[in-house]
Amino acid sequence: MDDLRIGSIKRKDKVTLSVNGKKVEAYQGETLLAALLAAGYKRLKRSPINHDPRGALCGMGVCFECIVTVNGIPNTRSCMTEVENNMEIEIHE
Amino acid sequence: MSNEKNNLKYNVVIVGSGFSGIVAAGILADYDLSILLVDENIHLGGQLLRKIPVELGDYSSYRPEYIKRIGFRFVESIKNKKLTIMNRACLVGAYPDHRLMIESERKEVLSVSYDVLLFATGARERFLPFKGWNLPGVYSTGLVQVLMKSSGVLPAREMLIAGSGLFLFSVGCEFLKNKGKALAILEQTGMMDKVKMLPQLFHQFSKFSEGGKFLAKIYLSGVPVKYRRKIVEARGKGGNGGKGALEEVVVGKTDASGKLLVGTEKIYKTNALAVGYGFVPNIEGPQSAGCDLEFSDWKGGWTVKVNEKLETSVENILAAGEITGVGGALKSINEGKIAAFSILHKFEKITGDDYSRQLKKLTNERRRHLAFMDLFNSLYRIPPGALLDIPDDTVVCRCEDITMGDIKKGIDMGFTTSRGLKTAVRVSMGNCQGRTCGPVVFDLLSLLGKQEPGAIGPFHARPPLKPVSIDALAHAARAPYL
Repeated sequence: MDDLRIGSIKRKDKVTLSVNGKKVEAYQGETLLAALLAAGYKRLKRSPINHDPRGALCGMGVCFECIVTVNGIPNTRSCMTEVENNMEIEIHE
Repeated sequence: MSNEKNNLKYNVVIVGSGFSGIVAAGILADYDLSILLVDENIHLGGQLLRKIPVELGDYSSYRPEYIKRIGFRFVESIKNKKLTIMNRACLVGAYPDHRLMIESERKEVLSVSYDVLLFATGARERFLPFKGWNLPGVYSTGLVQVLMKSSGVLPAREMLIAGSGLFLFSVGCEFLKNKGKALAILEQTGMMDKVKMLPQLFHQFSKFSEGGKFLAKIYLSGVPVKYRRKIVEARGKGGNGGKGALEEVVVGKTDASGKLLVGTEKIYKTNALAVGYGFVPNIEGPQSAGCDLEFSDWKGGWTVKVNEKLETSVENILAAGEITGVGGALKSINEGKIAAFSILHKFEKITGDDYSRQLKKLTNERRRHLAFMDLFNSLYRIPPGALLDIPDDTVVCRCEDITMGDIKKGIDMGFTTSRGLKTAVRVSMGNCQGRTCGPVVFDLLSLLGKQEPGAIGPFHARPPLKPVSIDALAHAARAPYL
């Protein structure tokens, strides 16, 4: 898949995340949302009533459409979270 | 039972570290006062002051615009000053006894007392719902900007940009600079509406020059710019529990009132759509503290009511920046200074004469910012037809899947206040607590329910102001004022 990382930026150290058990590489300093989008994860939750797919909307902690489970903590806003090595992320079906 | 280390006390607490908060903190920290600066974001600087937190490659020649250079200098300067900074911390509630409940980065609940409180909570994006705006792949323009500036990631290689306001062009420029391909920029309002305002714009020329630069860059880049265009529908294999994301966007021309001209529709194939319709103030903190609000379209909606000194209706609580009216960075810097001097005067750290002199100078400057704010917000107002045109099956409240039809039904039944409608149809009862749909619902109530803003009212804001862990809630439940 296309790499969505802007090429002109020299990045910090690589980190490895686990997304639903699958290894995903990201770079220190990135938000979890950026890392997920760069890895092709657009749908991050479902709406509670219609069960429709939802993804990030506001990107600044307001809308709660990008919530995932991070290291066992549910409903974590991926846009307000920085990636860390060995972070475990669950995107719920 | 709260333990001692979780009970903190400061002379001044500043909530929000955008331009206003940072500027005020910088001034106050030079005096003998204990100061706490709280912010929810990963880094200081608010929504505008974002920098790639990684080593810069080609960006070494990157020169942020003049205003941002000032801002970044403030951010750097306060890092060496004597004050407590709490990043990634969330305001859970503001209570009448000079006390705040804050959830720290480590998810600890802190009770913080203050002598003086300054709210500088900034603004968030305004939305205009259309069919399919809830599909993954539809992003706010702010998200796209933050993604590029904070993480160096594009949402997609190709993107359509639509909505209202100069910010569309600013995001477009940044996207092009990073080798993205913008399919078009579609503005909801009309070009002619702006031409009519030209005589007034000349007086504000310096302020518009920044936006003008973005406009010029976009026109030179060859990206099509279209006015009076609205999004009819975003499509993808998304509905009914599907797995899909955005695949195409249907766009149509509108009349002056914002209503779709049927038969003018055109389809853009794209996996990413950025939408933005201006900004609304984040008033929930001050609201829960009991500060009086006032409504004005020219200020961006519901704002915190302040006097010349930026004092709110509640003693020892001040407000500065976008929450007193969405007016941009220069207004926020100006108000950050005013608030700081008002606070210094309260603590008798400056003389009455010094204070009067500063206040006079800054208030004169502020008047110009307020005039600009009125003009700017009127230029890019969402036309009423665009709101009334939302189809009945379109989700308006994303958190609770409440549709335009549900809202209309509620209003028809006589629920013509924000509070009444919330109770009747559950609108705004989800995770975002009405921050996303609230301004839309308010506009609909005012158009369909035909009541004055004061009678409609904003959605109520009560602790917890943002969803927090159950532990935080349990702690808050022991507080006397929940």
